[in-house]
Amino acid sequence: MNLTRVWAVTYKEWREILRDRLFFAMAFLLPVGIFMVLGYGISFDVEKIPFAVLDRDRSAMSRDFLHRFMDSRYFYYQGHVTSERELDPLLANSDIRFAIIIPPRFQEQLLAGQATSVQSLIDGVFPYRAEVAKGYVSAIIANFNAQSLASHLAGTQGKSREQALAQVAPLRLESRYLYNQALRSQWSISSGLMMLVLMVTPPFLTALGVVREKENGSIYNIYTSTISRSEFILGKFLPYLLISSLNILILWWVVMNIFGTPFKGHPFFYYAASVIYVICTAGVGLLLVRTQVAAVMLTMVVSFVPAMLYSGLLVPIESMAAATQFESHLFPTLYYLRITWGSFLKGLGWKELWFDVVALMLYAVILWIAGYMNFHKRPST
Amino acid sequence: MNQHGFILWWDRLVAMTIKELKQLIRDPVLLLIISYFFTVDVYMAGSGINLNLRNASVMVIDHDHSAASRELIYRFRQPYFDFKGEIFDTKTAESLLDQGRILAVLDIPENFQRHLLQGQTVAVQFQVDSANTVLGTLATSYATEITAGFSQDFAAKRLGPDSGQRASLPVIQNRYRVLYNPNQIDGWFMSISELLTVTTMLAMMLPAAAAVREKERGTIEQLAVSPLSSLQILLPKVISMGLVILLGVGVSLFLIIIPIFDLPVKGSLGLFFTVTGLYVFTASGIGLFVATISRSLAQVTMLVILLMMPILLLSGAWTPPEAMPQVMRWAMKISPLYYFNEMSYAILLKGAGLTILWDSLLGLALLGAVFFNFGVWRFRRQFG
Repeated sequence: MNLTRVWAVTYKEWREILRDRLFFAMAFLLPVGIFMVLGYGISFDVEKIPFAVLDRDRSAMSRDFLHRFMDSRYFYYQGHVTSERELDPLLANSDIRFAIIIPPRFQEQLLAGQATSVQSLIDGVFPYRAEVAKGYVSAIIANFNAQSLASHLAGTQGKSREQALAQVAPLRLESRYLYNQALRSQWSISSGLMMLVLMVTPPFLTALGVVREKENGSIYNIYTSTISRSEFILGKFLPYLLISSLNILILWWVVMNIFGTPFKGHPFFYYAASVIYVICTAGVGLLLVRTQVAAVMLTMVVSFVPAMLYSGLLVPIESMAAATQFESHLFPTLYYLRITWGSFLKGLGWKELWFDVVALMLYAVILWIAGYMNFHKRPST
Repeated sequence: MNQHGFILWWDRLVAMTIKELKQLIRDPVLLLIISYFFTVDVYMAGSGINLNLRNASVMVIDHDHSAASRELIYRFRQPYFDFKGEIFDTKTAESLLDQGRILAVLDIPENFQRHLLQGQTVAVQFQVDSANTVLGTLATSYATEITAGFSQDFAAKRLGPDSGQRASLPVIQNRYRVLYNPNQIDGWFMSISELLTVTTMLAMMLPAAAAVREKERGTIEQLAVSPLSSLQILLPKVISMGLVILLGVGVSLFLIIIPIFDLPVKGSLGLFFTVTGLYVFTASGIGLFVATISRSLAQVTMLVILLMMPILLLSGAWTPPEAMPQVMRWAMKISPLYYFNEMSYAILLKGAGLTILWDSLLGLALLGAVFFNFGVWRFRRQFG
């Protein structure tokens, strides 16, 4: 390998990138753009669920019960209706996503020490949100029940309220959220998106670069030159690696400062691991450039789907079927996501994450060999 | 326009549309990509994404080893949790959590059973890895439900048989109904969402690509000197690609989403396809604008992807409007995908009709008129 030749190709490529203003701007705007959109766009915090109320009782107790929903930051009160038929169009038009119906004689039954029931209607279009909303509703009702029971027992059995409360709810669960104490979904999502964006944009940029050479026909200059295959690939690749390495820093800054995610790990370790990951993903771009320009779209698809589905970002690995779990271990995204979450939120380093780094290195080597085999100076026509 | 003139105008439009379709059919790679999007991609999104927690690995530090603690541990089982065994100190627990080998640790204190029997409130600790908040939230929610159930049963046992009849206690029973998707199948939401995204991308990409390809090859000059108006050049591109996309949506709906995910279509399919057609028209207006400002297909692709992002963000698919800040909610009103999204879910899952959706439809139509005219106007200025 002749380093002067590698340098010449790198320099040529870099000049070309600089002169294509649109491309150059995109190379930096695209990753940050995708990042911001997904970072703000994907939020799993379920809050301010708009809801309406049908109160058939209109008593002091039903109002007290409903106020527990109105005062909660998870729900957002949209008004009363007077009949069940009014609820359907509201739900169908997404004006409300949850409705609660209180039966007549609600207060009377409770005061008489009898059970009653309220009905809640939950919009199930997005199942995860429905599930979480269901949890909130049960929690509010359980809380109301415990108090109602306690005061009932205090009244009938002559115990103090605390004793009665301990009797009706003897066991309490104290949850400690590790690594993300306030359960901010933006912390997980924004750091996790480093994985996604660095999977999608580097191959895209590399592929565009190589395709440009073919489109312009300047690839024939390379074919006839004395430069070797490995020298060309390496030289061609270095500018894109540089851009992506800068993008790692930019995204890192965004994650910490715009999304407010803490970084608890070792910066050098994480940066080195990220560069290895970028070498892998940009290598994917080298593999895919044989076909036409339409391949650019294909690149996006080929890299996007595994990054979204098989990395553990959205879909927990444990919940997958055995075959899918195996598949997910075939993509580098899983390992890098572990490194990212480990570094950002858990404060881990080489000692705990060495296996994932080695896996990424292995990937880089394999992809590079494949890219080398894939590029021929003698085009088959 | 007299009748002859109109027939001529019409004939030219049809001829150009056929030309566009032929051109598309002769590009097998593009056809392959289009069919990939409408079939495999939609299928993968629908079947792959499952946001429910299953088999979350949990381990226990049991300081009590009593009948009560075993009873509680026994309740942490499948489908939600997968009990992986017992550990004896917090150090091991922490390192296992760090490595992501387990999701949660349940810590049962000493004298757990004794305190319960004495009528004291006991707290058990549940440490959960919430690096992934979806998992953390769901695991905690299920664990809370499990302990609440345990607590209730224990209380019922202690309060004696008279309280066994729950009707005699002043409690509210929660009767909930999940509407539109009673079994909470993730595939319904995900596959439709992916279909809408794919439709958006192709509706912008394909007409733009068809227009910019003429530029790249120089055939645009031929068209410019032909007796065709700019509208006659652009409209066939939109019509032909629109037909292809509608066909793709049909294939996706009837071959993938309905049969594989058992989606019950509640509303009118005719209305859904009308809305889709209108939406394709709107999005292609944006695509034509993109085509006027770029010189090559590569640039078109980049710009389309860049434009896709705000459109997706403001669509309300992943983050509903109520969870957005007020400024974003206003901005959503100019995102065509927002209307399309609302209407698609309303028609397909909720069975809504025109009486409910007329305002969204009007919004989409207005946006469509504006975007399309803008695209044509830009094109005319460039070549007219």
